[in-house]
Amino acid sequence: MTNLLAILVGVCLGYLLLSNAVYVVLALIGAVENGVRRHESEAEDYDTLASSRFTIPVSVIVAAYNEASAIVSTVTSLLDLDYPEHEVIVVNDGSSDETLERLAEAFELEPFELFARRVFRTEEVRAVYRSEKHPNLFVVDKQNGGKADALNAGLNVARYRYVCGVDADTVFDRDALLKGMRLVIQDPGRVIGVTSHLTIAEDPERTMSAPKGKRRIDRRPFVAYQHLDYLRAFLNNRLAWSRLGFMLCSVGAFQIWRRDVLEELGGYARGFTCEDIELTFRVHEHFLRERREYSVLCLPDNVGTTEGPDTVRKLVSQRERWQRVIDETVWHYRNMWFNPRFRSVGIVGVPFYLVTEVLAPAVEVLAVVSLGLSLVLGLFSPATFALMLAAIAFMNASLTACAILLDDVQSRTYRSRDLARLLLLAPLDLFLYRPIIFWARLKGSWRFLRGDKEWHKFERNVRSQAA
Amino acid sequence: MHELVFRVAVVVLAVSLPLWILLSVAVLGGRARYDRRQRIGPLKPNGRQVDRLLKRALGRPRTEWGEWRRISAINRLARMRHPATPHILYHALWDGDPKVAGAAIRCLGALGDLWAIELLVAALRGDRVSRSRVAAQLERLYPEPGFLFLPLLRDPDPAVRFWGATLIAPYEALGEIDLVNLTRDEDPNVRAAAVEALGHRPGEHAAEATVALLEDPAWFVRVHAARAAGQVAGVDAAPAIARMLGDERWWVRTAAKDALEGLGRAAVPALVPVLSSPDGFARNGAAEVLQDVGLVDHLALEEPQSPLLARIYEAGGPKLREAAEERTARERRIREEKAA
Repeated sequence: MTNLLAILVGVCLGYLLLSNAVYVVLALIGAVENGVRRHESEAEDYDTLASSRFTIPVSVIVAAYNEASAIVSTVTSLLDLDYPEHEVIVVNDGSSDETLERLAEAFELEPFELFARRVFRTEEVRAVYRSEKHPNLFVVDKQNGGKADALNAGLNVARYRYVCGVDADTVFDRDALLKGMRLVIQDPGRVIGVTSHLTIAEDPERTMSAPKGKRRIDRRPFVAYQHLDYLRAFLNNRLAWSRLGFMLCSVGAFQIWRRDVLEELGGYARGFTCEDIELTFRVHEHFLRERREYSVLCLPDNVGTTEGPDTVRKLVSQRERWQRVIDETVWHYRNMWFNPRFRSVGIVGVPFYLVTEVLAPAVEVLAVVSLGLSLVLGLFSPATFALMLAAIAFMNASLTACAILLDDVQSRTYRSRDLARLLLLAPLDLFLYRPIIFWARLKGSWRFLRGDKEWHKFERNVRSQAA
Repeated sequence: MHELVFRVAVVVLAVSLPLWILLSVAVLGGRARYDRRQRIGPLKPNGRQVDRLLKRALGRPRTEWGEWRRISAINRLARMRHPATPHILYHALWDGDPKVAGAAIRCLGALGDLWAIELLVAALRGDRVSRSRVAAQLERLYPEPGFLFLPLLRDPDPAVRFWGATLIAPYEALGEIDLVNLTRDEDPNVRAAAVEALGHRPGEHAAEATVALLEDPAWFVRVHAARAAGQVAGVDAAPAIARMLGDERWWVRTAAKDALEGLGRAAVPALVPVLSSPDGFARNGAAEVLQDVGLVDHLALEEPQSPLLARIYEAGGPKLREAAEERTARERRIREEKAA
């Protein structure tokens, strides 16, 4: 029994050390990528890009389902984007709240018939509205069909060669699209997809109302930990994936795609819990199978702030959904696992997801049980146990501090005192935040095994303007 | 086991705790330095620093980091308008590294001197740099470089002719004859650019040339021709543009709709016959344009029994009718409120 326990503990600690070693390597690669992109961005002529007729126009698509509290500020920020030519298409996906009424009131919508192409089959479109105030705003009102269906309805109406799918609860910086399209404009033949770094807040409008450099991070540690989670995910991991050629998750809150690629692939898939990660996997699979040159990139620029859950229940609901969609997608694309035909995506990217995301909840359960038993049975002294926890906590804190450093060097968004607070919160992440995520991931894996594909949308926070 | 775990934990802690402190100091120290620099503004380099910048700007770094230092040096020297700037930018432009060339293009555009413009035009003729980037800089220098674009319209390279035609578009007084000739170019991209540029030049020759291209075999030429014909030939071109509402390409149909909407109510006589077209796309398109130019609302409010309105509803389908009824009901309410 003791031997078995010792083996289990060894496996779990080995997994922990190995995965953290991988994260350290990714953070170093992410730092290099961050440096390169920062230099590129500093050398970029944004003023010319923002006024040139050679800047590629973009259709921004917002899928909205019961987003009455957030939709007006999101659309206002999109209409205010500093970009030479863009249209904003809001798809009201059969909301049962006042989403459409709020839009109609704020933007003076009028119903019009629009004979758009029907490249993708979607649920029935009930009406199309145009804004009297903003000629580049369209609202498509349709029967509920899920986010993927709503985005496909938006694609049918989109007029431009590039589309940018965004979430209805996110407020964007004025230069978000310009920064996102910068590399596309340089090489439109190769760059087919771009995503960028987003941050999180309980009330995005309030956070974004301050200029860059003076923005605050939510005072509640619960939201600040989610902010740190985003920083690590984007700046330590996704930037490195991007540099290594396996950027496997273009986030739904800000995803730019070349439209002909989406048309070729049949649009967003409705058969998954969420649409973003699956689409990114599908793009890689398709282009690598056909041996075509392409790039899907993640940029370090902070382009906007999205709403984070403000209660544990909402956070668990969100994160269990994320875990489920990762499980669904990695399982669906199992033909890519360790398959050299899919280059770095098949050899490193998908196995990375498999080991660090899909299998993680099982290993974490094993770790909690075996370490707890070891402590009870006296395999470790309490002092060794405490030392081990401290080591893990500071290992995580170092990775977090690295992400904070990369973010601040890149965008100088937050006040120094907020950065100091984040740095101090980092070592406690293991004890205050990780247990919640552990529970959510476990729940997500269980629901995946049961075949649950419901969205379980969490109720929106009360916003300062809406309150 | 206990011993091993203890040792590993000690090693990990011994590495990670100082690393966390070090990174924290780097975050806060770096930020304080940045804030201070923001307050005092950029420092002017002294003689030795300028020499170092010159060496970097003309050097050939082997690493990516070195490349960015070179680009930074080029930018700083150009901003200072150092006497060696033309020499440095010339070399950077033809460097072969797209990043360095890109920085040179940006600096040349920011400088805007005649020599800089000539260098940009020369870069447009060569194929070693991103032509769209060069064009974006030349575009923003309006109206200085206009006359330098004329020779580009007669260049043997079709890509150069394309960019010449694109860039000369806003210069209404320049190059009309050359552009009309380019509408017969063998390269469809050049024809498209030429017809788009002619859209800015009202005149008989431009009108004839644009209308002729409505029948072009390349669909994207027809797109530009439709838009240009609406601008240049006006109502005279409306029947020809209205025929394109039934084009096999969606983009052409959309361009035709945009062009007809741009003509306003003057396009109505050309659109009415299309309402009875055997082509469903053409009928829908005509009804949509009549809706967008306000005719549907006008008839629904003033002459609800009009046979023309019935024909538009028939061509546009029930949703067009529902949308019109909703709009007009609202308009009637507003009128009643005003009258009351």
